[in-house]
Amino acid sequence: MYEKEKDLISAFLRGEVDRRGMLKGLGAAGLTVGTAGTLFNMMSTQALAADFDWKAHSGKKLKLLLNKHPYADAMIANLQTFKDLTGIDVTYDVFPEDVYFDKVTAALSSGSTEYDAFMTGAYMTWTYGPAGWITDLKEWINDPAKTNPQYAWDDFLPGVKNSCAWNGQPGGALGSDDAKQWCIPWGYEQNNLSFNQAMFDKAGVSVPKNLDELSVAAAKLTKDVGGGVYGIGVRGSRSWATIHPGFLSGYANFGQKDLNVGADGKLSAAMNTADSKAFHAKWVSMIQESGPKDWSTYTWYQVGTDLGAGASAMIYDADILGYFMNGGDNKMAGKLAYAPFAANPAASAPTPNIWIWSLAMSNFSRDKDATWYFLQWATGLEHAIFGATKMDFVNPVRASVWKDEIFRERLNKSYPGYVEMHDVSAPGAKIHFTAQPLFFDVTTEWAATLQKMVAKQVPVDEGLDQLAESINRQLQEAGLG
Amino acid sequence: MDTMSPLERTLRGLALTLVVVFFMFPIFWIFLMSFQTNETILAIPPSIVFSPTLSNYAALITGKLQTAAGTLDIAFMSNLGNSIFLSVASVAVSLVLGVPAAYAFARHKFRGSEDIAFTLLSFRFAPPLLVLLPLTQYFQWLGLSNTYLGLIWVYQLICLPLILWIVRGYFEDISADVEYAYRIAGHSWFATFRKIALPLAGPGIAAAGLLAFIFAWNNFVFALVLASADKQPVTVGALAFVTSSGIQYGQIAAAIVLSVTPTLALALYAQRYLVEGLSLGAVKG
Amino acid sequence: MASTETLRRPASGFRISRKMLPYVLSLPALLVCIGILIPFFTAVIYSFQRYRLSQPWARQFNWGENYLNFITDPAFWNTLKVSLLYAGLTVTLELLLGLGIALLLQRRSTVNNFISIMLLLPLMIAPALAALMWKLMTNPSFGILSYLASLIGLHDFRWASSPDTALLTVVLVDIWVYTPFIMILLLAGLRSLPTQPFEAAALDGVPRSFVFFRITLPMLTPYILTATLFRLLDSIQQFDIIYAMTQGGPGNTLTVFQVEAYLNFFQSTNVGRSAALLIILWAITYTLSNVFIKNWLRLRERARGEA
Repeated sequence: MYEKEKDLISAFLRGEVDRRGMLKGLGAAGLTVGTAGTLFNMMSTQALAADFDWKAHSGKKLKLLLNKHPYADAMIANLQTFKDLTGIDVTYDVFPEDVYFDKVTAALSSGSTEYDAFMTGAYMTWTYGPAGWITDLKEWINDPAKTNPQYAWDDFLPGVKNSCAWNGQPGGALGSDDAKQWCIPWGYEQNNLSFNQAMFDKAGVSVPKNLDELSVAAAKLTKDVGGGVYGIGVRGSRSWATIHPGFLSGYANFGQKDLNVGADGKLSAAMNTADSKAFHAKWVSMIQESGPKDWSTYTWYQVGTDLGAGASAMIYDADILGYFMNGGDNKMAGKLAYAPFAANPAASAPTPNIWIWSLAMSNFSRDKDATWYFLQWATGLEHAIFGATKMDFVNPVRASVWKDEIFRERLNKSYPGYVEMHDVSAPGAKIHFTAQPLFFDVTTEWAATLQKMVAKQVPVDEGLDQLAESINRQLQEAGLG
Repeated sequence: MDTMSPLERTLRGLALTLVVVFFMFPIFWIFLMSFQTNETILAIPPSIVFSPTLSNYAALITGKLQTAAGTLDIAFMSNLGNSIFLSVASVAVSLVLGVPAAYAFARHKFRGSEDIAFTLLSFRFAPPLLVLLPLTQYFQWLGLSNTYLGLIWVYQLICLPLILWIVRGYFEDISADVEYAYRIAGHSWFATFRKIALPLAGPGIAAAGLLAFIFAWNNFVFALVLASADKQPVTVGALAFVTSSGIQYGQIAAAIVLSVTPTLALALYAQRYLVEGLSLGAVKG
Repeated sequence: MASTETLRRPASGFRISRKMLPYVLSLPALLVCIGILIPFFTAVIYSFQRYRLSQPWARQFNWGENYLNFITDPAFWNTLKVSLLYAGLTVTLELLLGLGIALLLQRRSTVNNFISIMLLLPLMIAPALAALMWKLMTNPSFGILSYLASLIGLHDFRWASSPDTALLTVVLVDIWVYTPFIMILLLAGLRSLPTQPFEAAALDGVPRSFVFFRITLPMLTPYILTATLFRLLDSIQQFDIIYAMTQGGPGNTLTVFQVEAYLNFFQSTNVGRSAALLIILWAITYTLSNVFIKNWLRLRERARGEA
């Protein structure tokens, strides 16, 4: 039964037929979507299994530590496939995002052997790696005996992949030759514009092309849309999370850096240059004029909530926040649009700083080979396609998923401009911070300084000089400066 | 105090109304939110008019949340179960340990009694964060991490000092004469404690127990750090609705309402001990 | 001391000597808690180390350097100031309000009893969740409180988001959550006061204010001290409300001890500094409680003497 269809799927899996061709063929054969899906899963399992001993660790048990997130949801929905494929039993603990990293830090710092792999962001690995809590995955990636031939490590977007690799030297370039692969990218977020088209039309505003235009557009939206709607949503709480999205993306677009790395490897603060001060001044006045009134307590979920509920006209933040707010029971669902954004008029392309949800292997795992089996499956192409086309696994980190017609069409249909935004800004998308263990100290104080500037407690120039001085002192105290 | 002028009566009524409004309004608002979806909760300006839905409660109780991306599992009811078990067990252990100790401190001046009492109190002011890191490591070695036993033990830090010091005050307020008379009649120390002292201090014990229960109920950092997902209390469970794909205010509100219910039921049940039966004037020396 | 006299006669049945009895009664409680002392002392050791989890190779004793650094660190002095201010404000206001409410509800009636139980509700909501709800209620777009404020002309009231009103806002939430704690303890105390002195005062026509300040208040003082002590210990260690509402901001407006220590530990993983901060916090609470307990005991003795 279904022999012909199976052949077609096999051809696809071998790369002889593209996805569209396969689905067309299956449709012509009169297969329902459900049957096709079942067949597809079965065949892909077989295809994966064909040239690689997926059963090598059959009967073993793994435990994961996961953040409550659509990525984790997508993985859990597909987990049975992995269990069938490998015979490895997988259990997991899911914790709310609010407390997730506290749990990770507590588990790892105590050397707990409970979890074999866990979700993390790249910034966190700048602590976890040097602390000796996570494993350099290069050894596994480069071992053909342990990694299935279809894994296609080259398929990962280079900026994203490299952002998860660091040699452990404070200030060391991400993705350098001696870098250790601390985690494998899973899904990621670029920071660009998501906006409410109807409000733009109402206020007669076109999509801004640089920071000055952004300020003007935001001010006009605040003035003309009415109903208390404000022009621009950017994060503002006293946290590292305020610095890394739109703010750093725009900042990096002007060629500005957080820290300088000296020839002797010593770090020093770089945020009190004249250009940086000019950028800060514009950013601060934009928030004062057209930002949310509760900006200094405004976190990622409010950026999203306000856009989704029609309280804000535009956000310069994670693209996936705009993505999620365009669906579900949000009032503005279906009314949002997207655009890439380069803050610097002289810049040729956007340089979004990125957040990468990744998977890392605990150094305290009792069976690292079996854990790697899970990691390569979860970050493999099959699962990425499943997540991107059937679940909300956006943005995928593999180039071939972005080339997938089904995925592109799905996005184009409901998320106007999203694919184009990604394509335009992906080449410049990477982590623009300096990798070093004091990341959270630097960014938290930076956010607190921004808050003081927005509240007019300190002038921008003076605030940045104070910040630089304080950061230099802390770097020296830690033996880094 | 029995004679109250009409003016005073009015002023008192007014003050009480203000108090009730201040403390009850947020509760009322949360209660309303629990019957709404984000669409009406996030209305501009906020509105009191909405068509109520039970979907938040349905999602919490059945453990199935319908989203655009499919059905997701929610562990809220098991979180609730954990909270009930942890709080009840911790308070029970605290009562068994704390009440006799409180009695000892109240009735006997023994060498070092004040020092021991103060040491016990001092556990209350060790910031949890301070002991947590070493504690996770010691728990690993002792095999106590991720066990209810370990958690109940750590919860004693919250409950025991509170019970001990509040109950001690009540024991001290009871005249020793009644106990003395009972002992004279040839009864044992234990019988005296059980038949005379405990019932007289009952209201105080109930009040202290309820407060300890509330504080244990509201704590979540211990369970978060020391145990895995299947042993987490409601507080952690409710935070799960702050997700990357949006914050579900309606479900958080419903979670709050559900999580308050057992405590409120307990308080209403114990009402006569808490506020009615605390009259110790009759037995006070 | 009548209480010791009571037990002079040996008990029949139980063969525990009179001298040992109190130790037997209090030891289990002590033993259960004493285990916590081991992690506590471990943490004290950490506080004397240069100990960053991200630089395990650089871990060494630096004796007191963590503490000495505080002297020249303006952030530390700000933390100390804010913590004390926060604790002082919340405890004072909650005590006054709690006492006031307890006096309003003093008379035994079904309505009063019901109200007093209902007033406990804020206490039953975990502070982290309560803060989340307050954050929503004070949201400039969707918040009912912001809306009500705008109705009375406060169009630009920014609650926790402005450095001018952030402290007031979190204090307000703290008052909402914890006043019931003080109220219920004082109400219990009020209702357990002996009735004779009040009846006598009423017969003599003593002014009400005199009764309150010279009879009610002194007799209630032990309860007030207990309630204040526990509230003070919690308030100076406040974390949930402040962190959930402002994360210590805006600027450094609300970087109280626990927020600083939390950020130092969980984000910066600077265990040494975090532990040193918490030890100082512990020392402050230790001193404060000592003062309270001394007074409490003195009052107890005096009350017993008068009785």
